[in-house]
Amino acid sequence: MGIFGIWIAAFLTLCIYSFLYRDNPFYRFAEHLFLGMSVGYGIVLNIHSGFIPLAWDPIYTAITEEGKQSGLVKLIPIALGLLFFARLSPRHTWLIRYPIAILIGFNSGLFIPSALQASIFEQTRGTVEPFANLGTLGPWGIFEAALMVIGVICTLTYFFFSVEHRGTVGWLSKIGIAFLMIGFGSAFGNTVMGRVALLIQRVNFLINDWLGTIF
Amino acid sequence: MKRQVPLVLCFVFGIAMIFTQFSPHTFSQGIHNEVTNWTHIITPFALVLAVATLIQTHWVRIRRRTTHWQYSIVVFAGLITMVAFGIRSGPKNRVFEWLYENVQVPMDATVFSLLAFFIASAAYRAFRARTFEATLLLISALIVMMGNVPIGDFLWNTVMAWTPWDNATSNASQWILDNPNLSSRRGVILGVSLGAISQSIRIILGIERSYLGGGD
Repeated sequence: MGIFGIWIAAFLTLCIYSFLYRDNPFYRFAEHLFLGMSVGYGIVLNIHSGFIPLAWDPIYTAITEEGKQSGLVKLIPIALGLLFFARLSPRHTWLIRYPIAILIGFNSGLFIPSALQASIFEQTRGTVEPFANLGTLGPWGIFEAALMVIGVICTLTYFFFSVEHRGTVGWLSKIGIAFLMIGFGSAFGNTVMGRVALLIQRVNFLINDWLGTIF
Repeated sequence: MKRQVPLVLCFVFGIAMIFTQFSPHTFSQGIHNEVTNWTHIITPFALVLAVATLIQTHWVRIRRRTTHWQYSIVVFAGLITMVAFGIRSGPKNRVFEWLYENVQVPMDATVFSLLAFFIASAAYRAFRARTFEATLLLISALIVMMGNVPIGDFLWNTVMAWTPWDNATSNASQWILDNPNLSSRRGVILGVSLGAISQSIRIILGIERSYLGGGD
């Protein structure tokens, strides 16, 4: 099974890399197989880690065991979930708004406190925190702390469209663009290196694992 | 009924989720966990609808014998195989695990590694230092890339051996990531979060209703 798996993986890897030459039947085969298997994997995972433990098991227990009738409350989200299929009937399409409204309301409510905590308070704290220990910082540390605050303020100014970007605001905005460009460059560099690392891993697999089964 | 009830549901669930996160009381946490479970139950139904759409699209392609219709059979073969082996005993099924490790994971890694080639041509276009901003992008990307590979420090320590700084490439890369890069990211995160929070408040209060779609 091990060697067979390696050969299958190597064949599909080469099928996908054949796209570097041009679009061809081997690539299209691998692409469609990947699509189908990914969807199948998602279905299995959703059913076994979501639907069965959270809905099926409590309902089954409620029906088969005494004193566990509270599990029947799970029929409500199941009924709401089934409303998604109202989309298939033009006359009843509006019913799909119920589960969508619940999911959107739930996620909005969940997002507000967590975003306030993680993205606003924590990021602001991280930006100004070095100034709490200003006495212990050397000249380089003070420069870095100031750079951080200047970078955040200038970047925010660039995205602040309520005033015209002229004069002082215009200059702050231009400095913000410079910080953004450095940020985008770093992100691009990291992405390139991440993709190259994946390429090295696949080439390593082909040379050592696959060709290792032949020679 | 068609618009008002969804708006009320959105408001009730949104406010409930905000309050339950601020209250550590057992009752409040019970509601929080129960509602979270409800959404985990509802979400797979949306997935089923998405899969039904995918099946419908490929079924039509097969039935009408459109260009490359044969590959739609491959989509079905992959989907049915994974579901057939995984549906009964779950992701721990031996064949399902084998298919995941030997077919899906290699293809996933290969598709993403393929981007290394295309990102190279994108880099060529992006990195032409025509303006001051493009030059900053070029320099920071080059330093971060060179700082991520051993050859960066090797080259520096060999060619620039006369300077007092050892491993300057990786140190410079780390400094860029920890300082100017982080400050710009923080600016973006703060801006995006403030926008998303205000949008969430608008949705909960029923001011933003585009998710309800058109019609009555």
